[in-house]
Amino acid sequence: MERIKHYIDVSLYHVKLAVLTMLEYPANFVGWLLSNPIQFILGFATIKFVVARFGTINGWDYGHLAFLYGIAVISHAFSMIFFVQGWFMGEYVVGGDFDRYMLRPLSVLFQFFFTQFNIVGFTDLIPGVCVFAYGCHKVHFHWSIGNVMAVLLLITGATLIRGGIYIIMGTFSFWTKSRNDFAGFTQEFFDKTTMYPLSMYPRMMQIILTYIIPIGWISYYPAKDLLSGTGMGAVISLVIGVVTMTLAALFFKVGLRSYESAGQ
Amino acid sequence: MDTIVVKNLKKEYKIAQKEKGLAGAVKNLFVRKYEILRAVDDISFTIPKGEITAFIGPNGAGKSTTVKMMSGILVPTSGDILINGRNPQKDRVHVVQDLGVVFGQRTQLNWDLRLGESFEMMRHIYKIPKAMYEENLKVMDDILGIEEIINIPVRQLSLGQRMRGDLVAAMLHSPSVLFLDEPTIGLDVEGKYAIRKFIKEINRVKGTTIILTTHDLGDIEELCKRLIIINKGKIVEDGPLEELVNRIAPNRNLVVEYYDENYVEHEQAKIINVEGNIVTYQFSKKEITGAGLICDISDRAKIKDATIKEVKIDDIIRIAYRG
Amino acid sequence: MSNKSAYSFIYKMRIQKALAYRFDVFANIIFQCIAMFATAFFWKAIYSGYDSVQGAGVYDMLTYTVISAVMSILFVTTVEFKLMESVKKGTVAMDMLKPVPLFSIYFFEDLGNITSLFFINGLPILLIGSLFIGMPLPADGVSAALFFVSLLMSFFINWFFAALFSLLSFVTINMSPLIQVKKHILRLLSGSIIPVWFFPEWAQGILGALPFVYIYQLPLDLYIGRYTLQTAMPKLTIQLVWLVILSGSFYAAEKSMTKKVMVQGG
Repeated sequence: MERIKHYIDVSLYHVKLAVLTMLEYPANFVGWLLSNPIQFILGFATIKFVVARFGTINGWDYGHLAFLYGIAVISHAFSMIFFVQGWFMGEYVVGGDFDRYMLRPLSVLFQFFFTQFNIVGFTDLIPGVCVFAYGCHKVHFHWSIGNVMAVLLLITGATLIRGGIYIIMGTFSFWTKSRNDFAGFTQEFFDKTTMYPLSMYPRMMQIILTYIIPIGWISYYPAKDLLSGTGMGAVISLVIGVVTMTLAALFFKVGLRSYESAGQ
Repeated sequence: MDTIVVKNLKKEYKIAQKEKGLAGAVKNLFVRKYEILRAVDDISFTIPKGEITAFIGPNGAGKSTTVKMMSGILVPTSGDILINGRNPQKDRVHVVQDLGVVFGQRTQLNWDLRLGESFEMMRHIYKIPKAMYEENLKVMDDILGIEEIINIPVRQLSLGQRMRGDLVAAMLHSPSVLFLDEPTIGLDVEGKYAIRKFIKEINRVKGTTIILTTHDLGDIEELCKRLIIINKGKIVEDGPLEELVNRIAPNRNLVVEYYDENYVEHEQAKIINVEGNIVTYQFSKKEITGAGLICDISDRAKIKDATIKEVKIDDIIRIAYRG
Repeated sequence: MSNKSAYSFIYKMRIQKALAYRFDVFANIIFQCIAMFATAFFWKAIYSGYDSVQGAGVYDMLTYTVISAVMSILFVTTVEFKLMESVKKGTVAMDMLKPVPLFSIYFFEDLGNITSLFFINGLPILLIGSLFIGMPLPADGVSAALFFVSLLMSFFINWFFAALFSLLSFVTINMSPLIQVKKHILRLLSGSIIPVWFFPEWAQGILGALPFVYIYQLPLDLYIGRYTLQTAMPKLTIQLVWLVILSGSFYAAEKSMTKKVMVQGG
């Protein structure tokens, strides 16, 4: 309990630092506030145009797709706020930037993520929430207490799944010693697989994305369940999120043993 | 109990052998040979509480690697480390709670914000009680003059100011052990003076056990009783500076200026140079003290001046590096 | 050393450097193939039940996907990062004083990088795409010829745009997130992921007035045979105009920046 209180205290202090840093460079923030929503509005416009040409995508009409897309973007936004560092882990490994975290009496992984909040990630939430609200309206989503709970569980689970995958991918750099970040490809792949119904892809790919790399549980399965009136998918998402994150943390711990700092 | 115990410490790296040229680069994609580099090769030492010890050695000798293993950053290939009775790899969180580390080449301060914000950050991270935090800050302000720079963003600090900030940040939680990796690198005379004064004061007042790596011989002369010289991953010398100097260069030169060209000889000193009325004697510190020799000579002849030439510490170190 | 041999040296060095990180080489192939497959499956799925949409069949779209993946390698630029680092470290004034012009160095570094990437990533991706997605053949000989002409201009448009963008390093502190966003937006607006002719008329009109579609879309359209020699000419002319505009504004902006840096001393 004492420990949890300490960790929360440290996190909150770093939220303050993140806000102070942001205020130090207001132009950067304004830049993000403009460019991040543009990215997702463009992404959503693309879906709209494609649906306009093809009618439906694998049986999903425009409203359903907006619902799915909303969940995908909101969980993306949260994963950007808390776990975006995972994309740049290679940079930290090669640059020896884990040194400072290892010198402090807190979990290294905790510090890596929770001492550098990416406040600008909130700008991703704006288009996400808009599209989701629009989708909910189109599919007549009923905001019962059960459904609200389900959405909260699902967003938490989806964020954890994304974060876990970023950590696992980043951890490989402890062995490869590569600076390369695959942010671009990762985002493109996640976009394709979370913003469209998974059922449109070949069987093999569906199996992989359901059981091996649980991307299907970020948005597709829970959204499908919610649209057919059950919150089961959301609960499973949360469970898978917790499991993925735990495995990722263990894997990171193993990777850290091969950390070589920088120089000699 | 010794504060730091290091036994048979080893660290090996796997280095990929790369072939030259474009064809070699393509070949390296598919076949690659590795070579084992032993950066730290069977090092053992113990350091008692309250001692200031310097690690010196040429670049790439393994000093920083050793410090990084002692602070829990790197995992040793084999060997044991105990800091205050705990292993820094297995018990990292406990070890670092009582450890301060400063790397001269990089900062732990928050680049974008005012210096004071980084200190507050340390207060939260180490759970430093408010009273202790303020007391420590005040004590260190007296030595380093932190108050005048505390509101400046770290990115605008000079190197010397930044280093002062880093030292304070590392000592706010009153650790009993402090590791300093090249703390005076790149600093001007004033900066070096402040840092050395701080190290001495902290050691005297708080009894902090300090290990520092350095290339600056001034640091060694002013701060350290004990010297550990590392070369090619091995300890080549370990002991008090004075002892090392006496062993490597047991002989001293005495330059005597007479009033005329009549000089005297001495049975325990060898004349190695005569230039007019200036004569250079060489003697061994084991056989006779410098004062004794001057006394004897001035008994036998009238002398105008006498100077004992101390050996230069760089020369001693250079000889020690050669092994 | 004359400038010419300096450039060829920089070019060769970059090729070797790109090969030095074995993991990066193989991981790049894998990641790019995964993204390519996802796109190919996407087209196959939404085309089920349609023969042709907007004058393009599913086979055209698969060709489009594979060629677009290979093309993206030719458009990798590092000039933005290089200049950002140089400004951050404060060495930019000194770098600009070097006898070889700074941006020429960056250009040849990028060229070397792209050459090696083409062989170690582009060809494997082309091979894997041909085997598992479909042989991406050009519509006919004329299409292929037009494609290469257009591609050459695309390459320079993309590079000059990146170089122009890199000059923002002088006015903003933290460029690296902006660079990511620029890449993402460029890919969305250029038709590299989804061709703009799937967009409504008004959106096509807007995008047609921007230079981005002349980076990916035009060469790809030419490749799958959406234009004849006659209809292609006006498009290629606009592409050339964009090339002139972007390179011209880059030279002008670079000149004034250089002057400013020299006066302020970085």
